[in-house]
Amino acid sequence: MPCYARILFIVLCLILLGECRKHRSRRKRWSAPAEGHKPGTPLSKKVADGTKSKKLKTSHLLRIDEHDFTMRPAFAGPAVPVGVDVQVESLDSISEVDMDFTMTLYLRHYWKDERLAFLSTTNKSMTFDGRLVKKIWVPDVFFVHSKRSFIHDTTTENIMLRVFPDGHVLYSLRVTVTAACNMDFSRFPLDSQTCTLELESYAYTDEDLMLYWKSGDESLRTDDRISLSQFLIQKFHTSSRLAFYSSTGWYNRLYINFTLRRHIFFFLLQTYFPATLMVMLSWVSFWIDRRAVPARVSLGITTVLTMSTIITGVNASMPRVSYIKAVDIYLWVSFVFVFLSVLEYAAVNYLTTVRDGKDRKLREKAREQSQNLPCTCGMSHGRTMMLDGTYSEADANSLAGYTRGSMAADDASEKPERIVVHLSLDNEPTETKKKKGFRIIQNTHAIDTSSRMIFPGAYILFNLIYWCVYC
Amino acid sequence: MVSGAAIPVGIDVQVESIDGISEVNMDFTITLYLRHYWKDERLAFPSRTNQSRTFDSRLVKKIWVPDVFFVHSKRSFIHDTTMENIMLRVYPDGNILYSVRVTVTALCSMDFSSFPLDTQNCSLELESYAYNENDLMLYWKNGNDSLRTDEIVLSQFFIEHFHASSGLAFYSSTGWYNRLFINFILRRHIFFFMLQTYFPTMLMVVLSWVSFWIDRRAVPARVSLGITTVLTMSTIITGVSSAMPQVSYVKAVDIYLWTSFLFVFLSVIEYAAVNYCTTLEEMRKMKRGKIPSTSNASQAMAFDGCFHDNDMELTPFSRMAPALTSDPLTTPTLTPDLRPTEGTRLRRQRSVRENVDLFVSNSYMIDSYSRLAFPLSYLLFNIIYWCFYS
Repeated sequence: MPCYARILFIVLCLILLGECRKHRSRRKRWSAPAEGHKPGTPLSKKVADGTKSKKLKTSHLLRIDEHDFTMRPAFAGPAVPVGVDVQVESLDSISEVDMDFTMTLYLRHYWKDERLAFLSTTNKSMTFDGRLVKKIWVPDVFFVHSKRSFIHDTTTENIMLRVFPDGHVLYSLRVTVTAACNMDFSRFPLDSQTCTLELESYAYTDEDLMLYWKSGDESLRTDDRISLSQFLIQKFHTSSRLAFYSSTGWYNRLYINFTLRRHIFFFLLQTYFPATLMVMLSWVSFWIDRRAVPARVSLGITTVLTMSTIITGVNASMPRVSYIKAVDIYLWVSFVFVFLSVLEYAAVNYLTTVRDGKDRKLREKAREQSQNLPCTCGMSHGRTMMLDGTYSEADANSLAGYTRGSMAADDASEKPERIVVHLSLDNEPTETKKKKGFRIIQNTHAIDTSSRMIFPGAYILFNLIYWCVYC
Repeated sequence: MVSGAAIPVGIDVQVESIDGISEVNMDFTITLYLRHYWKDERLAFPSRTNQSRTFDSRLVKKIWVPDVFFVHSKRSFIHDTTMENIMLRVYPDGNILYSVRVTVTALCSMDFSSFPLDTQNCSLELESYAYNENDLMLYWKNGNDSLRTDEIVLSQFFIEHFHASSGLAFYSSTGWYNRLFINFILRRHIFFFMLQTYFPTMLMVVLSWVSFWIDRRAVPARVSLGITTVLTMSTIITGVSSAMPQVSYVKAVDIYLWTSFLFVFLSVIEYAAVNYCTTLEEMRKMKRGKIPSTSNASQAMAFDGCFHDNDMELTPFSRMAPALTSDPLTTPTLTPDLRPTEGTRLRRQRSVRENVDLFVSNSYMIDSYSRLAFPLSYLLFNIIYWCFYS
């Protein structure tokens, strides 16, 4: 037993001795890499592990423990100037509904902190990652009017710190910011939006920290591959200003401004083109015979329904603004055109009914005056015959699916008679298409005829004015 | 902290933006600079220049700061890009200014009974979590001027009023706490809803009146007009309800939409009445023998909707034709063919009452009266509605 104890005691002493030596050597400032092994060492001897070099810890290297880094450089002295440099990696998205944009950028700060200066023969800088940042002082730049933001941390925090021997520091991080952008939609979708990202120090006023663009307007660089699906990025430029807070004083604020112009093509295809087609479709109604009541009414009302659906679809993806947008003007004017075509047919129908009633009155008077007239059923059948003759060849079901069984029986009793509206009343049943066509044209109401000119003309004029104003 | 009198902590708020107001979740999101002012003599330091010292967030972990929280908040966070947005300013006499930038999503009970002509009253409440009024006295530093706002622009609302107030809150387990309130009143912009809801609804109702001006013999036309306007109204109603919380009371916009729906529905019912009365009139006249042989033409019109000119006394302009020579002769021969098709078969007894007779024999009157009655009553409804809610 005592044998074992002695051996244990000796081993413990050796271990302690080893630790003391290691500890002593750590205190020394290390300036040269340790040699791996002496040249010519036989293989049997233990080779010192090159990865376990006797480097000092960073905190000792940079004398971090000797200073209080909760205080800024030149504390209680002049303001520390911090230069800022930005490289925009991408514009991730622009949201109209939330009125914000999301941007990913590399943000670089340049300042001088003499407490971090170290002796160096090669004058080369030393690079560290995010773990040193917690131990030294860095500027606390934040994005004014940002909604959400984060520093990327895959696989480790995307932070770089580069310290130069004279104490200059380069601090770079990769950030994604979602910031608010007041958008003006009065010319949507033919609009341009100007958005800005604002950088400012949170704690330090301009007496403590002076923020400035390191190289003026060239401080802002963008990747060449920045592209957005819906926008064209026109311009990126920088500016700087002072901002005043009544409780806390004046702060330096840096601005990144960019202008975006929207691509119109998607909206042309999605909104303008269908709306124009619907309006043109409603004009078809003027070319259909006014006696085809269900056809004209259902054409008009279905185009109104489709326009209503298009309008609802556009507003689903837009913020609820309190002013009128350019696309609203176009859609509502088109809606009004379509609506008016329905009203036009109502007027035609009403006037036709009124006129037919008056015609009937005249006919009855004429009938009363002359006893020799046969029953007027023939005349009416004649006109009916005209209409049916016209349509029966085309499509017996075109009107409502009901065919007339008694058509043939009425041929014999036709008699021409002068009617106010119809200038040519033919005895014979309609045979030639030319005569039929002539009769159709003769049977058109004056409102229809003028509408065929007025509606397209007015719509074309509206389009000319609209595109000239907004383009 | 001195174990004695309560420590007074002054509060100052600058509202940066109101990020969003959600009706469905009944909450709002606000970003603000929250500043605390108190005196801690342990932090006093000698200074010749009497200037304050500014520190960032790392000092905060080492000293005592008040633990203010937002009552009724759902989510909140202190922004931390690029560093935690915290500022600490220490004056030589020990006064401290502590400022944080916070985004809070807080609850706001909204009352939608006048939506979209409504005004919402929301408030953000600040309180200390641990220290009741015996330990920490929370107060607005400059009274009502403690609350400042940047230029806040909301797309759907107009901010009428921001004001600060304070009160005491009692918790039965823990005692009385000071509570500070940030109250603001929001008034909704009506324009979007005018364009999106009210205007299409009015147009649909007007479109349904077009039916009264179309010849009542055009059955398919009038029916399809009526039913398509009902369908469009139904679509508009569904569209509005999709962006709203499912509340258990009726909203102002619901009243308008459903009344308009009723008008459109009534125009369809009106045409059904007109058509029924027309058919009855026809049958009656046929039975009395005053219909010439061309009644089949009118029936055909009734079904295919096209004009067939005839002598039917179905318009106000014709008089009852005297029984002419041909008519009684031709009628019997054609009557077998004039068996009414379905829909016009008269299975009923003769109408009894006088006014029903009047309507039936003059079914055109229903249309004529409707042309006036419907627009006037809709106009009256609109006047009452807008006067009541505006």
